[in-house]
Amino acid sequence: MSGKWRGRLPWLLMGAVLVVALVIGSQGRSGPMTEAQRVKHIASEIRCPTCRNQSAAESDAAAAKAVRDEIDRRVRAGQSDGEIVAFMVSRYGSDILLKPEGSGVASLVWALPVVAVVVALFGLGVAFRRWRSRPGVDVSAEDRALVERELQREDA
Amino acid sequence: MNATLGTAGVWLGLFGALVGVVTLGFGLYRRDDKLLEAGRKYTWVIVAGAVLGVVAMESALLGHDFSLKYVAENGSRQTPLLFTITGMWSALEGSILLWAIVLAGYLAVMVHHFRTRATDPLVGWATLTVFVVAGFFFALMAGPANPFRVIHGAIPTNGPGPNPLLQNHPLVAFHPPMLYLGYVGFTIPFAFAVAALVTGRLGEGWLVETRRWTLFAWGFLTIGIILGAWWSYEVLGWGGYWAWDPVENASFIPWLTATAYLHSVMVQERRGMLRIWNLSLLLATFSLTILGTFLTRSGVLESVHSFTESPIGPWILTFFGLVVFTAVGLIAWRGDRLRSPGSIDSPVSREGAFLANNLLFSAFCFVVLLGTVFPLLAEALNGDRLSVGGPYFNRMTTPIVIALLFLMAIAPVLPWRKASEEVLRKRLFWPAWTATIVVVLCVVTGLRGLAPLAAFWLGTFAAGSAVRQLVLSARRQGWRGLIGRANGGMVVHIGVVLVAVAFAASHAYGHTHEFRLAPGQSAHLSGHTVTYLGSSTVKASNKTSVTAQVRVDGGKVYAPAIQQFPFATQAIGSPSVKSSLGDDVYLTLAAAPDHPGGTAVIGVIVQPLIMWLWIGGAVIAVGTALAAWPGRRRRPTAPVSAPVEVETPEAPPEPVGVTS
Amino acid sequence: MSDVDLAVSRSRRHTARWAAISLGVVLLLFVAVLATRKSAADKQAESPLLGKQAPSLTGSGLDGSQVSLASMHGKWVVLNFMASWCVPCRDEHPELVKFTQRHQAAADATVLGVIFDDTQPNVRRFFADLGGSWPVVDDPGGHTALDFGVRGPPESFLVDPNGFVVWKGIGQVNADGLDKLLREGKARGA
Repeated sequence: MSGKWRGRLPWLLMGAVLVVALVIGSQGRSGPMTEAQRVKHIASEIRCPTCRNQSAAESDAAAAKAVRDEIDRRVRAGQSDGEIVAFMVSRYGSDILLKPEGSGVASLVWALPVVAVVVALFGLGVAFRRWRSRPGVDVSAEDRALVERELQREDA
Repeated sequence: MNATLGTAGVWLGLFGALVGVVTLGFGLYRRDDKLLEAGRKYTWVIVAGAVLGVVAMESALLGHDFSLKYVAENGSRQTPLLFTITGMWSALEGSILLWAIVLAGYLAVMVHHFRTRATDPLVGWATLTVFVVAGFFFALMAGPANPFRVIHGAIPTNGPGPNPLLQNHPLVAFHPPMLYLGYVGFTIPFAFAVAALVTGRLGEGWLVETRRWTLFAWGFLTIGIILGAWWSYEVLGWGGYWAWDPVENASFIPWLTATAYLHSVMVQERRGMLRIWNLSLLLATFSLTILGTFLTRSGVLESVHSFTESPIGPWILTFFGLVVFTAVGLIAWRGDRLRSPGSIDSPVSREGAFLANNLLFSAFCFVVLLGTVFPLLAEALNGDRLSVGGPYFNRMTTPIVIALLFLMAIAPVLPWRKASEEVLRKRLFWPAWTATIVVVLCVVTGLRGLAPLAAFWLGTFAAGSAVRQLVLSARRQGWRGLIGRANGGMVVHIGVVLVAVAFAASHAYGHTHEFRLAPGQSAHLSGHTVTYLGSSTVKASNKTSVTAQVRVDGGKVYAPAIQQFPFATQAIGSPSVKSSLGDDVYLTLAAAPDHPGGTAVIGVIVQPLIMWLWIGGAVIAVGTALAAWPGRRRRPTAPVSAPVEVETPEAPPEPVGVTS
Repeated sequence: MSDVDLAVSRSRRHTARWAAISLGVVLLLFVAVLATRKSAADKQAESPLLGKQAPSLTGSGLDGSQVSLASMHGKWVVLNFMASWCVPCRDEHPELVKFTQRHQAAADATVLGVIFDDTQPNVRRFFADLGGSWPVVDDPGGHTALDFGVRGPPESFLVDPNGFVVWKGIGQVNADGLDKLLREGKARGA
């Protein structure tokens, strides 16, 4: 219906404006990282060894500084992110990482929530289909006439 | 003397709980009203026991009675008065005592509130459940977590005082009590959920009563969590406020299910639906508080908050198993009979939105819980040692929060039963356009980053929708348009949006750097100038501080410090923050000068909109108070769906619309 | 079908019951897992370095001379990361003194200390107070601690005469425990 589309027009316009703004907004933040940024990025994924629950990038502790210095040394030496992280794991054990790696048992922590959401959506879909297949309430002619009468009385 | 009094209090409380359980049990079994009336009176015995215990502990702490092991380990003559008082909850055994007194307080209020219905089996079962929970906590204090243990042998003349991190800031007097008022408060709605399932009566009457209880508990828990974030920010020195630490998560997970309940219960009130969901959410919330207590106190997970090791873990785990078994068993037994025959007509409706809300919060709860306990599961599966930290939680919860913000925007304008596109378009027009204009302005002024910009759009959209509701309501009813459940809820939504937007902005646009400065030297970061002026050393009664003076932006002088407590192992950094509505300049003394007049290393963290986290928290508190305000007395709407026939021995089938 | 009929027929499907029972089984397993966990503090004594060559270790000792782990090849070495501000280090120190005295004559084992986040003057004072005279290496940037994956003092490693790490301990050690490890290591023929 053209009326419906006329109503939708401002929304489509808004959608376009928003998308353009977000696309522009997504640019210009990430170019290639400087060395300092790389160090900070890698350190933010490694646990501070002496702290209870901070990353090596955030903490002031001596052990965290040592980790940052070592990462800095290796970044300058040209090692890749993966090599540096692997070195840390080879000394501290795999629980020095703040994010579980995506393979083996560790992948479960990433997969299970997705599976749960899929199951939930599926269940929701099944429930709605079941509800929709219920027969609607039949309105008898007398009820219709009653409603008409009352509505007319309201308008009067 | 203190030890005797305290132990007497603990045993009194335990006695009261046990005898109360037995009396009420018999009263319910025999349907004996006199026993039911008598049983509830044991509440006062429990309260007396808890009060006695607290009085004895505080008297011991304030009187420096080092014959008590707890005081010998956590008290000190040098500790200032405030921190001596709060020392009661600074370690494990005392924290159980705090739990007991808060629970006793809630129990007393509940029993008093329902005194005219004491002979109703539903109230009887609820009281019995709370007695069982209280009995458990008193049993903990009588057994593994005894706060009144006495030292054998020489009595020390002084003690180390509470953990230095708990002597640093007055918030220690507010954060734990608020948290406990919330956490423990969920026991009462849980008790009523159990009672409703046992008696098979889900009349809407009990629901309205306990909804307000849940709201209060939820409000306190929210404030407790925000205060915890504020404390972490002000005291711990890392510049952050939420680390997805296991103990932080333990307080957050029940909050999620409680929030879902507060929303979903409206569907039960209006349409009599989602009953199983609501009961399950209440049972889950309480179970999760017990699980959270276990994770915090058992030592299986490392955390900033970890209490010292103790044998308390197996006890709490057993209780958790009992609670879960009861909850699951009750739902399995009664659940299907209590299901409402109604159905949700259309997914695009208020009911549909609340159902989606339930699912999203459940997913949120699942993700946070999974991430928190996953190291334990992985180790059990194949010995892998891994850890799950901030990056995982941030990545997994972001899509859920986005979906929730979106729901927050459209749900208030969704009609019940079925919505049409025109209605939605008309009502959401201004909020959506305001949000778009805000984002365009942000992009034009140079802000970049898809995640924060999306957060700004969704946040403004949701806030706009809430403001629209409030304006319409105020226009209709004047000042009364701002109180009551729906309007208070809109204010809470605004507060949540403030917190979400501040969270996104501070994470995306924060900058941090450390500068080595000589006295008089300045440095610049993110548009701010910090000038290091010099350092001094100050000795106080309980600590020695090396303090640096730093002038920020040519104005006030701030004093980040490093504090050394006599019995602590390492020095504690004490940050100093210049807060403003726009951003916070967070200063730490990373390294003190080697010699007077030498260079110091000053850490500077600039994060925008931090203050709005605390403002948002205050708005949520105000909104909760508004929502709790008794609105115009409204009778619970008769459910549109047909009633459910339940065969219970005592009660005849309920006719439509009767509230029990 | 009337509403009531539907309610009765739906409830025969017992959705809630099955959902509750499945959840109950999952939670039972979960509780079993929780019940069998050790405390977090006990767990870290596994190290990726076990069975491997110890990383190289050199530095300046308390008396200014150069100290290295390699120079102790041929002896069993208890590598002990410590600090003067660390209370358990204070508690374990007499045990380490006892250990060195026991093995002084045979000269088959020795202790090598490594300073963790502390200064040489502090540690000199520590040794002056509590005794003991084994070499202690300074670790100003924390590189040695990082190389060995040390999270915080006290942590100790047992290195065999060929330079392989055979044991890691977190927290205090005692002389008898160390002797037992030594006997087991020798019996294995290392």
